[in-house]
Amino acid sequence: MKLGDDKRLDLYRVMVRIRTFENGVRQLINDGKVGYVSFYTGGEAVAAAVSAHLVKEDQIGSTHRPLGHLIAKGADLKRMMAEIAGKATGTNKGKGGAYHIFDKEVGALGANGIVGGSVPMAAGYALANQLKDTDNVSISYFGEGASNQGGVQETLNLAACWKLPMVFVCENSSPEEQTMLGHKIDYPQLSITDISQRAPAYGMPGESHPGWDVEEVYKIAGEAIQRARRGEGPTLLEFKIHRLNADEDSPHCPIKCYRDKLMMDGVLSKELDDKIRSEEAAKVKEAMDFAVGSPEPELVDAYSDIFVEGA
Amino acid sequence: MSRTITYAEAICEAQRDALRSDPSVILFGENVAAPWRPATKGLKDEFGKERVRDAPITETAFIGAGVGAAIMGIKPIVELMLIDFGLVAMDQILNQMAKTTYMTGGNVNVPMVLRAIYGARGGGAATHSECLYGIYAHMPGMKVVVPSNPYDAKGLLTTAINDPNPVVFFEHIRLSNMEGEVPEESYSIPFGVANTLREGTDVTVVAVGRMVQEALKAADELKGKISVEVIDPRTLVPLDEEAILRSVQKTGRLVVVDEDYERCGFSAEVAAVVAEKGFHNLKAPVARVANPNVPLPFNKTLENHVLPDAEKIVRAIKNVVK
Repeated sequence: MKLGDDKRLDLYRVMVRIRTFENGVRQLINDGKVGYVSFYTGGEAVAAAVSAHLVKEDQIGSTHRPLGHLIAKGADLKRMMAEIAGKATGTNKGKGGAYHIFDKEVGALGANGIVGGSVPMAAGYALANQLKDTDNVSISYFGEGASNQGGVQETLNLAACWKLPMVFVCENSSPEEQTMLGHKIDYPQLSITDISQRAPAYGMPGESHPGWDVEEVYKIAGEAIQRARRGEGPTLLEFKIHRLNADEDSPHCPIKCYRDKLMMDGVLSKELDDKIRSEEAAKVKEAMDFAVGSPEPELVDAYSDIFVEGA
Repeated sequence: MSRTITYAEAICEAQRDALRSDPSVILFGENVAAPWRPATKGLKDEFGKERVRDAPITETAFIGAGVGAAIMGIKPIVELMLIDFGLVAMDQILNQMAKTTYMTGGNVNVPMVLRAIYGARGGGAATHSECLYGIYAHMPGMKVVVPSNPYDAKGLLTTAINDPNPVVFFEHIRLSNMEGEVPEESYSIPFGVANTLREGTDVTVVAVGRMVQEALKAADELKGKISVEVIDPRTLVPLDEEAILRSVQKTGRLVVVDEDYERCGFSAEVAAVVAEKGFHNLKAPVARVANPNVPLPFNKTLENHVLPDAEKIVRAIKNVVK
């Protein structure tokens, strides 16, 4: 499979958008406008490549590090940023925060504050697609910590038993040395090298790959997604990533890796890179201004949306 | 036209009506396709194994799948074989099913019914006997329905399936074979509307589920001596506070009967509502007849010792009316 220049630049642009957006959140935190957010930085290649195969009518279930997944799926940047700032104009009217962002219009269903919590729900999205007899699929994102959760294991089994059209995408962010919340742990969380080793035990194919080469992720994810669309059932993919900071210095930075490659291939010039970055920065700036300028929810809003009206 | 059927058959009928009239309704859970279970009997044969499907014994996965499907506009009826087993799936029930609507600011809703068998069966011990509706009623975002008879069971389940919000529907194991007059046609009973089963002037007895039948026995036993009003709220969430307060205004006395644990439960809630909003009408302290915070013992003599029943209700009524 040879990717066209436009497709390659799209992948690059989405990764830049995610990083720029998260750096915008970092700035709002520094400015005291936003509290705490769990960042996705370093995983951009996975979200960008997976979502490049998806249409609006496909769904994703995400994690407590959701911003990359949501942005790649097309969630509205302004309303997302407003939600992160807890404003009334947010995707969730300021009542969910970053950990619970949902943007139903684009199938971003959604962030989840419980480690592994969205995985059974993503099986439900797949079940709905199956019952409606569409070829839409759901993607269930989770991390290596969540991979041990009972609900995740149960859902792998359920998805295989019901042949659900979904792909499990595990982003393993401590591939070389097992860590938890940033510290080295004395006892490992995982007694296996690759999380995909569990796939055959649940009766589905599985593969593990580096997650910082966006084109490799694109290829692997594409095969699994096509398999799900054909009704052949779920796949468990593991991508090894590194949690990074704002800058792009790391050899595992997916944006740096791809920029170097695209420049070497003559697809990306310095001028084009600057143009992409300034365009994305403008979108993020607009989202930040929107969030900062938006009103707080009214006190009365605390009492709405516990139940929806009507039958 | 009405005819006599059982509580479980009434529940089956409500589901059949919904599956027939709305293609987005589906039913899944452990053993729901089995031919011998009265509350789901015949449904797989009529609607097929896609819409009526057995799930592996993984409550977290299949309840969560119900939540996800509901978010997608499907109307899942998910059966939890016993309410006690829901304890292994608390994240999906109490976090995701209950709170997703609120946390998303109404961006999505969860039109799902979680049906569960509950209650003391005689020797089930503390993992096959509990009520636990107090736990579910505690969490904002779910409606909690506890029908006490076949007529209510059918009408309330129809309402539950049509509700755009999550509903937990409690079916008492010992009411399963209870017979009653039930219309053949589909009908619904609104949530939050209590049913006054006996009118009285001396004392108000509030009970739900199987305890309604015990409260009625107690009222019958006291006939001619004490005039007992028996109120069945039918739904814990929403709770018909007005009906309870109106009754207490008339009788001045309140006994709350609850098979669930007494502490922080339904009985405490009703007592608190009356203490806050109807205190000036009370002629005697509120009495509660509930499980005295004991995990249900296996031994039947011990089990009966801690369970509320007509005799204990009679005793409590006499105490507050003396």
